[in-house]
Amino acid sequence: MAEEHLDDVYRYLLYMTGNPHLAEDLAAETFERALRRWRRFDPRRGAARTWLCQLARGAALDHFRADRRRRKREGVYASDVPELDEPVFGEGLSPALDRAVCSLSAAEREVVVLRVVLELDGETAARVLGIRPTAVSTRLSRALQKLEERMVSDVRG
Amino acid sequence: MSEASFEMVLNELREAAPPAPERLRGLVRSLPAATPRFSLRVRPAISAAIVTMLVVGVGVSIYAGLRGDPAGHRNTANYFSASESAQSGGTKQRNPAPSRGLGFEQQLAPGLTAKSRLQKQDVAMRLRVDDLSGATQSAVRTTRRLGGFVAGADYATRSEDGNSRLALRVPVANLQKAIASFTQLGTILSQHISVADLQGGLERLDARIAKARHAGHAQTVARLERRRDALIREGTYAHVSLQLTTAKPAAKNVVPGRFDRFLDTSGDILGKEAIAVLYALVVAGPFVLIAALLFLAERTRRRRSDHRLLEETG
Repeated sequence: MAEEHLDDVYRYLLYMTGNPHLAEDLAAETFERALRRWRRFDPRRGAARTWLCQLARGAALDHFRADRRRRKREGVYASDVPELDEPVFGEGLSPALDRAVCSLSAAEREVVVLRVVLELDGETAARVLGIRPTAVSTRLSRALQKLEERMVSDVRG
Repeated sequence: MSEASFEMVLNELREAAPPAPERLRGLVRSLPAATPRFSLRVRPAISAAIVTMLVVGVGVSIYAGLRGDPAGHRNTANYFSASESAQSGGTKQRNPAPSRGLGFEQQLAPGLTAKSRLQKQDVAMRLRVDDLSGATQSAVRTTRRLGGFVAGADYATRSEDGNSRLALRVPVANLQKAIASFTQLGTILSQHISVADLQGGLERLDARIAKARHAGHAQTVARLERRRDALIREGTYAHVSLQLTTAKPAAKNVVPGRFDRFLDTSGDILGKEAIAVLYALVVAGPFVLIAALLFLAERTRRRRSDHRLLEETG
């Protein structure tokens, strides 16, 4: 089951963090969590992929919270996202699209990856995010609008 | 950007999404396989607990119904037994059986009365008799024969029935004989016996009299001695309230069958269980509601906080 959903979990975390190395670490942590909490998994309440995405989200949020605390403590405001020459969100991705996706917030990228990349339906995505399906549609619509705007401005600029 | 070209962009995102790195894949492969273990799921567990409680509750009531409630129904049985004896009316209890609870000599047990102590004894009896006049006269004669007297009498007859109320004073020493004699007059419908100890009060009065006498207070001594005499009188004569009636029971009491008793007992127990559950709900309900509201509020707060965090994270 782990290998079957590994790519999805990794992609989800990659979009959330915008950092391939961090996504890799968090994906490993996600599967360790899944192993520990396996007995809590109830297939009647959702597919394994949904449950793994929820665990991945928890791992990412824990990381972001710890990171925010660390930044506050150290007074560091610079982003930890590495400056890579290669596109972050996939090798074949155009640099303009990659930059546009990068410019979105983690919350916006999260809904894009769930609905567009992983192709989850609205209800499943809502379950992962812990919100109502209508709220998922709203968030997706705004995120895609913003992505479009960024791409257009990038092309013009 | 046109819709078609934007759709192409989304396809590009989909197609370019990278697979998990080999290192991660190796790591995940190295994880031990999760073995399914027994886990207690909350909802089925709650459902099972509720069903179990219901089954146990109903089972207990059925068991108690089949077995018969030792407290409640014994009284009922006695009541009906007494009623049955009342219905049989007419037949006087020449030889009242102690097992029927009518043997007053046994009822006025030494545990209640103590000859060495001064006690105030009150007896109230209600009997159904055939011959009201004869029974009343017999009671008065018995009282006088035993050294007592009639303190009050109320005698009334109508076409169907009659009532006679006698307030008797019977020497305590002969009280049991008097009661035994009264029980012969007819069928006992009810009885009440009370005993109050006067010995303590008497001893206190004696002490006060001795003290007053020692101090030379003659008036106080006289007053206290009057009180002492009154107290002794109170303990010397028992108050017997005897009510005789010729009235027949209004309706025939039906002895409940085994099934009726079973239903009655089971219903009682089920009712008590329902009251207990309702009580628990009323007591615990507000706390559960507050806990649920706090839980929901905390979850909402956390979700908003998470969303803000992700919004702030680039």
